Amino acid sequence: MNQNPMIPSLGKLLEVRDLATDIKLFRIKMLDGGSKAFHTFQPGQFAFVSAFGLGEAPFGIANTSGRGPVIDFAIARLGSVTTALHELGEGDIVGVRGPLGNWFPMKKFIGKNILVLGGGIGGAPLRPVIQYVLDHRSDYGRLTILWAARRPDLLVFTDEYKEWCAAPDTSLHLTVDTADENWKHESGLITQLLEKMSPSPDNTVTITCGPPIMIHFVTKMLQEKMGFAEKDNYVTLEARMHCGLGKCGRCNLGEKLVCVDGPVFNMEEVGELLETFL
Amino acid sequence: MSKFNADQKRWLISQAELEAWLDGISNARTLIAPRRVSGILLYRPVENSRAIACHNQSSGSIHTERPVLSVKEFFFPPTERLFAINKTGQEIYLEETFPDWETVIFGVRPCDAHGVELLDALFLDTNPVDIFYARRRRNTTLIGLACREIGPACFCTSVGGAPDDAHSVDIMLYETHGDYLVESMTEKGRFLIPGGEWKETTDRHQKSAYAGQFSVPDNGKWPEHFKDDYWTKISERCLSCRACAYICPTCRCFAVRDELVKKGEFERIRCWDSCAGENYRRVAGGHKPRSEKGERLRNRFYCKFYYYPEQYGLGTDSACTGCGRCIEVCPAGVDITEVLMDLEKPE
Repeated sequence: MNQNPMIPSLGKLLEVRDLATDIKLFRIKMLDGGSKAFHTFQPGQFAFVSAFGLGEAPFGIANTSGRGPVIDFAIARLGSVTTALHELGEGDIVGVRGPLGNWFPMKKFIGKNILVLGGGIGGAPLRPVIQYVLDHRSDYGRLTILWAARRPDLLVFTDEYKEWCAAPDTSLHLTVDTADENWKHESGLITQLLEKMSPSPDNTVTITCGPPIMIHFVTKMLQEKMGFAEKDNYVTLEARMHCGLGKCGRCNLGEKLVCVDGPVFNMEEVGELLETFL
Repeated sequence: MSKFNADQKRWLISQAELEAWLDGISNARTLIAPRRVSGILLYRPVENSRAIACHNQSSGSIHTERPVLSVKEFFFPPTERLFAINKTGQEIYLEETFPDWETVIFGVRPCDAHGVELLDALFLDTNPVDIFYARRRRNTTLIGLACREIGPACFCTSVGGAPDDAHSVDIMLYETHGDYLVESMTEKGRFLIPGGEWKETTDRHQKSAYAGQFSVPDNGKWPEHFKDDYWTKISERCLSCRACAYICPTCRCFAVRDELVKKGEFERIRCWDSCAGENYRRVAGGHKPRSEKGERLRNRFYCKFYYYPEQYGLGTDSACTGCGRCIEVCPAGVDITEVLMDLEKPE
């Protein structure tokens, strides 16, 4: 008889540290039995993390499997499960169920310029894309990162910007909706920064993650003002999910399911159905 | 999962033989059958055949009345434990238990059996297999009972079913002048038939009385109506009470959460949920996609007649059994047949 796919594997927290206000990085080492499933996972995949007794919730995996036998999650404290996770520390046990979903077709992107657009905690599933490109730098063209948040204290992975910028042919552009007196970069919405930069669609794919409304306006601008083809605009969608296995019915994007047909889609597949996420 | 077998055997048995057979079944297995509970007809465990509604003339007959709830709950219960969680300090121990008892359900309406077949497409035939559903399904034998006539809210014949359709059961019974014509439809069904005791027959059952059919929009018709104002208008009376989903033989949305049993002990459970609920799509931080009632009601109809058939490769245009329960239960008069007929009307 089959296994119970709803049962998580156990993992130990190797490290818990602040990334931004109310956002923490959780680094997990899978314990015996669970390590095999997580030997390889791809940029863009997700997993459910359990705070036992409170429940589980899905999160984009925030690292590449190429950087060591650990799994990173960047988790904002927003609901009961994430609040319980924020109370845990090094050595505590969590459940991890996955890896689930599809991923960014990084092999298909070889030879192309890559434009990454991340908004707030939406940067979490984009970090493995950035890591992957940096680790296979000669396979790709120019890497341009547009990184945004509502406020400077909500920007994630700030301690890694140096590494990103030091890589060849790589640039990082920061913006916040509301700047403070110490802010030295752009201010305003990510679409304002995008309009200013006006990237060329030539041999370029875009990868966007953020709130649905940001995805809506960013992809609209890329297509209508900059001439990108829908199929070259990749996004990863967030949806409420309770199983991640295509059963619970909750995360549908029209006749597709974000958990098994996504979370990575190109905008040709998403089309007008994005409005059901707004 | 087509199990139709052209050369299945048939028997003709009396009421007394039927009762003796069911009594024998109830001795060895859990027997579930239509039973009156406070005046309401439900599929419930019975100790013997005398408790079954059809054998108690004073309380009405199951030949013309379908139970208030479908058999869905015996394969996909309203609440089900996925595993137990034991927490002692930093130690976590997870414990699994699976359902493992033999059940026979007697008196299953053809529409309800059809509903089980539609759920199979998701829980059994699409990977990963749902172990809880699969165990219950494997250990349960369905004995169908043809409806003599179609009920006031029924429309099974418009969505691929029929009051005497035997495709989705293991054994089919047709009442005929006080006796029963019995057909074994599957090997699992054949196993329950007493060898040699019953009189074989070559008779065929009398066709049940069919009601008129209406035309249901095919898959291709739905996308063009997605942005219609119709959904806002029809939903004005919807109360988002979710009764239609809970009573539906094929609605299968569920939520997963942890419940406290006692200090240090929890259960991860799943329970029925519905896309009609306002918080169904709510994501962390409070954002609520599909916040309009019209968007949610639209999703229910699209799921039933477009999304679910596409997602799970039904090969038909409908995940609806035509049982009509949602029409009867809706306190606001939302009628699924009215919606389907409206969509088929020319602009």
